[in-house]
Amino acid sequence: MTRLMAVEFFKLRKRMMTWILAILMVGLVVLLYSIFWSVSGHVATFGENAEFTGEDLRRALFLQTSVPFSLQVVSSFGTIFAMILAAGAVGSEYSWGTVRLMATAASGRVRLMAAKLLVVCGLVAASALLAVAVGLIYSSIITVTNGGSDFGFVTPGFVRDQAESYGRTLFVMAPYVTLAFAMAAIGRSTLAGVGAGIGIAFVEPLIGELMRLAGNPWKEIPNYLINANSEVVLLQNKLPDVVRFGPSTQELAKNHFNGVPEAVFILAIYSVVFVALAFLVYRRRDITA
Amino acid sequence: MSEGREVLRTEGLWKRYGRITAVADISLQVFDGEVFSFLGPNGSGKSTTVGMILGLVRPTRGRALVFGTDMATHPWPTLKRIGAVIETPAFYPYLSGRDNLRALAIALGDIPSTRVDAVLETVGLRDRARDPHKTYSLGMKQRLGIASTLLRDPDLIILDEPTNGLDPAGTREVRELIPQLAQEGRAVFLCSHLLHEVEAVSDRVAILKKGSLVAQGPVDELLGRGRYLRLRAEDHAALMRALSNVPWVSGLEQRDGYARVAVPVTKAAELNQALASQGVYVSELAPWETELEKVFLELTDEEVAP
Repeated sequence: MTRLMAVEFFKLRKRMMTWILAILMVGLVVLLYSIFWSVSGHVATFGENAEFTGEDLRRALFLQTSVPFSLQVVSSFGTIFAMILAAGAVGSEYSWGTVRLMATAASGRVRLMAAKLLVVCGLVAASALLAVAVGLIYSSIITVTNGGSDFGFVTPGFVRDQAESYGRTLFVMAPYVTLAFAMAAIGRSTLAGVGAGIGIAFVEPLIGELMRLAGNPWKEIPNYLINANSEVVLLQNKLPDVVRFGPSTQELAKNHFNGVPEAVFILAIYSVVFVALAFLVYRRRDITA
Repeated sequence: MSEGREVLRTEGLWKRYGRITAVADISLQVFDGEVFSFLGPNGSGKSTTVGMILGLVRPTRGRALVFGTDMATHPWPTLKRIGAVIETPAFYPYLSGRDNLRALAIALGDIPSTRVDAVLETVGLRDRARDPHKTYSLGMKQRLGIASTLLRDPDLIILDEPTNGLDPAGTREVRELIPQLAQEGRAVFLCSHLLHEVEAVSDRVAILKKGSLVAQGPVDELLGRGRYLRLRAEDHAALMRALSNVPWVSGLEQRDGYARVAVPVTKAAELNQALASQGVYVSELAPWETELEKVFLELTDEEVAP
């Protein structure tokens, strides 16, 4: 298993796509920080009811909220990159025909798939850390250059909060990554995995919203889908509403979203089912190309 | 050639895809130290059979045993003892030739990095080892495929069209390499369309037609070497009559303007005497020889190219 993980890491490390996705991830953090910072200096108030001020936005970009802000970028855009990486790790083997090469060199098909998935997850986790690190550097500069040199907020509790935010973010990305991984294995192509993953990521919130508007019996269905439960979990990351991409706590409560334990359970089920599906299909199917 | 140790055995191997039968009841044996050629037209089931031997394709019925291991259930670690190139060798296009072999070596385990360079040297790719695989010519890709089979120092080598894309010099090198591999005690399972080459290097041959074996045996036996004589005389009808009068002559046939009889070469003089005693004097009497290509085309009902 260690050998297979080493091979998968070797292949992904040498692949240009991996580095491009990581650079895009980090670049987006820098870009969004820059845009928000620029906006904060140009607006007095904003929001649906002008509930936010430019100062609110400026404060939200300081070091104190840097980690959840960067993780928000990771959970939204990074999920897409992670799906591309996961689908590519499986699907490309089919398009290049190397699936046979590896299947005859691996000590078991399930092990091979497990190694792929673990390495993809590891790289996603590492990329998220990199994005957080870059966000921390950027926000440190902002904080220090704007008179916020008091770092008294960095307590053990604060550090634990950041670590939990990191864990939550990776956790909500898992169903999408495993979905892309499974669909690439089933469809024997990168496109199948990326298409299914991105399709679900974009279409599901829209369909879910429509279902909520349609009332009974539709309105409860989104509570069993991935997106709604991801929102519930991500809302636990301590990020000011002024920079939050998703729905607020009030909106979630109004729409009768699941509680955190239920959301965690449902997301875990999705991840497990997708992984099992990928392993089962790859283990049983003939490898002919 | 059954003196060696059995390396591969298939027992009543079948593969069906829905209503299509890709492979039907294939039973064969391959021994160490021999070159076994597996021939058949396109779509005859060669690659499916190879897939079942490697555990990539599950048989509908029957078993493929390599070193006694059922490849459908427990292919590992037996796979470590098999080097295979199926159809066009596939590698990671963005990796160099050396990195492709390194990746393979890591997966297989217990292969020193010096071995990677050694096999690259063997196939003549040392100078281009650092170039990405996507920049390789078809011949170079083929050479890398052969290098990947040698990497594991295998006991069974499966080569599917190993000379595809190679220039004449490369083709000759591979042709020389194949018997050399067998002499080292390995079993070579060769699939090729180049029947002249197959004939030159093979010990035994199996011919496949529409998923079923139509012939299997030593090359000499399949080609009838030493078992037939061909004769020609001015009066062909008289020759045929005289041959039919000789009681120990069998298998009398007319082929390509000759009379062909199933008489061993050692009895050629005796036959000549028997014909002369009947007043028939032959203008030609020689061992009847055919080519594998001809046998193959006859057995598979393939059209002979004009």
